[in-house]
Amino acid sequence: MFQRILIANRGEIAVRIIRACREMGIETVAVYSQADKEALHVKMADQAICIGGPLPKDSYLHMENIISAAIGSGAQAIHPGFGFLSENTKFARICESCNIKFIGPDASIIEKMGDKARAREMMIKAGVPVVPGSNGVVESIDMAKDIARDIGYPVMIKASSGGGGRGMRLVWEEAELGKAFSSARAESKGAFGDDSVYIEKYIERPRHIEFQIMADEHGRVVHLGERDCSLQRRHQKMIEESPAPGISNDLRDRMGNHAIKAAKAVNYSNAGTIEFIMDQDDNYYFIEMNTRIQVEHPVTEMVTGIDLIKEQINIAAGKELSFKQDDTEIQGHAIECRINAENPEFNFRPCAGSISGLHIPGGRNIRIETAIYDSYCVPHVYDSMLMKIIAYGDNRQEALNLIRRALAELQIGGIDTNIDFQYKLVHTHEFEKGDFDTGFIEREFDSIMTSMEVIS
Amino acid sequence: MLNGIFRKPRYAQIKGRKDENVDNKPKIPAGMWIKCKACKGSIYHQDIKKNHGICPTCNYHFPLAARSRIHQILDRGSWKELDKDMESVNPLGFDSYNRKLEKAKDISKQNEAVLTGVGKINKIKLVIGVMDSRFMMGSMGSVVGEKISRAIEYATEHRLPLILFTASGGARMQEGIFSLMQMAKTSAALARHDDNGLLYITVLTNPTTGGVTASFAMLGDIIIAEPGALVGFAGPRVIEQTIKQKLPRGFQQSEFLQEHGMIDMIVERRELRDKLSSLLLLHQPKEGDIDV
Repeated sequence: MFQRILIANRGEIAVRIIRACREMGIETVAVYSQADKEALHVKMADQAICIGGPLPKDSYLHMENIISAAIGSGAQAIHPGFGFLSENTKFARICESCNIKFIGPDASIIEKMGDKARAREMMIKAGVPVVPGSNGVVESIDMAKDIARDIGYPVMIKASSGGGGRGMRLVWEEAELGKAFSSARAESKGAFGDDSVYIEKYIERPRHIEFQIMADEHGRVVHLGERDCSLQRRHQKMIEESPAPGISNDLRDRMGNHAIKAAKAVNYSNAGTIEFIMDQDDNYYFIEMNTRIQVEHPVTEMVTGIDLIKEQINIAAGKELSFKQDDTEIQGHAIECRINAENPEFNFRPCAGSISGLHIPGGRNIRIETAIYDSYCVPHVYDSMLMKIIAYGDNRQEALNLIRRALAELQIGGIDTNIDFQYKLVHTHEFEKGDFDTGFIEREFDSIMTSMEVIS
Repeated sequence: MLNGIFRKPRYAQIKGRKDENVDNKPKIPAGMWIKCKACKGSIYHQDIKKNHGICPTCNYHFPLAARSRIHQILDRGSWKELDKDMESVNPLGFDSYNRKLEKAKDISKQNEAVLTGVGKINKIKLVIGVMDSRFMMGSMGSVVGEKISRAIEYATEHRLPLILFTASGGARMQEGIFSLMQMAKTSAALARHDDNGLLYITVLTNPTTGGVTASFAMLGDIIIAEPGALVGFAGPRVIEQTIKQKLPRGFQQSEFLQEHGMIDMIVERRELRDKLSSLLLLHQPKEGDIDV
């Protein structure tokens, strides 16, 4: 087992990892930027090393400084957390050549999964369902018609070198296809200098369902159930829960087996997440794999009783997983709300500044993951997430009651936050029923904002 | 605030100190980060390698090993080396020369400071010679001169264009007058190549100095240089001390030399292959061309 671990991250995840290490009797080394001198992870770790200026590229992304800090402090392993260097092939490779254990999968796996086209190909080979589509560039309108007929309408035409919605066309029926195909190609040519396009089935009102995977370095892979992360705004998740509403045990087993297949196909080790997109008829398709611990990992911890960070460290130290698939059981229900320093009234504009007047909810079955404290100054250079509140109940309704209660108790003064927005969101009829999709927040934003009136 | 967190009064814990395995200890392998001579930043070695040996921050062109150069410039699989096994002897019995040669061979994994051979750039056949500054600073002794002369003669005989990449501190002092003779020998061979109406391009890389500058480096029909390359006969410090004057800024840098008409063009390493390819294409002999 490691004697000392360096945590190459900041904020609540750094605190989360330091706590796990402390419980395991492992010494911790925090790294911090000049903007984070007063950060909680710096105060909590056994030692803290400043690694550069406030901008991420000068500190939390500065590989040379982080490696030097690890060598200098005698750390044998680095936990990258999420974001920053957590899915950086080069960093994982550098750790390897310095004989420092990177707590995560091998560099080669990160590389394979980072390449979306390659990951898709591997999943097809492994028999994992992917969003039906053209498997490459569509050359002509006739070819497009054949493919669309094959996978069924509606379909989405996408530019191969595209992004940001350009060169994208939604087609509902064959009569529209010809025009959409040529205009998508023309737009793509204009925007990216490349007119190659591909076709994918368009999933209406999709849900984002992801499976937690744990794999040791001895070939054992276990899934720990799913999380529903459909409540998101511009691909930023806001609320996550486990288990996902309306998923039967049978469906969970099927999806879980596909998730295990996907992980085995790349010889995966350590913690990972297989993301699926799911349509209204419970058809699901692989979209990508995240090769790191995720923000929303606590909901899985609550319903499985497994400490994922400790498992990650044990796996990295070469130990076998402490449980088999049959040992795992989903019990109860957990809901997590992300509290961010941002103002929903002004398009979720991020906010920095000093916190004054902080009240953190507590009580039975409320878990708080945060790195803020009273009088802490939120720097403007980093992510705006301040806190995660996780409520755990015997069933979804209890968890819902708990999260509503906790949000009502939470007060963060001095800066803008999305607490009120989250409070309104967990009170919507749709959330209560578990009837939502990834477009819900953006589509219903106005009605959520006005769903409650202030009475003084 | 919160300075007492996890910092409760500490109680000494007495642990048996484990013998640490020295081999297993984390350490940074030598050469993992390379310091850029120009911007002083440190760069991950793979990033320089992927970037053709150019600093990703400031565009400084690191010296390139001859084999990497050949790999960058020639069509894959087209390279055939000439006179591979030719090795230097110690004609003057110069003290410590043998030892230096062995060391250079060991570092560079090649027999001398130049590699010559035939290859293709975009399917156009040519003779190519590449000097390697890791081998005794690319200095020219009898073998370097002989290999280059033979390469030139091979090009003349087979009516092929010739490209030489230079990188040299000049004539090799350990071989004295034999080294100086190479200047005349290579120049004479080039004159015959030229008499046959064949194309000769030189690419001057950092540094190109001394006897190499004074012979084949400056005889190209087209003279190309890499950015920021030092090109000269005597070095700037020697000149300053001799003429007792301060030299102008950028003296002997390829940009300065281009401004003063010594060099035809400066081409970045990334664009070098394309540039050489189009130059070769433009100078391909056509049927019906009359030999002058």
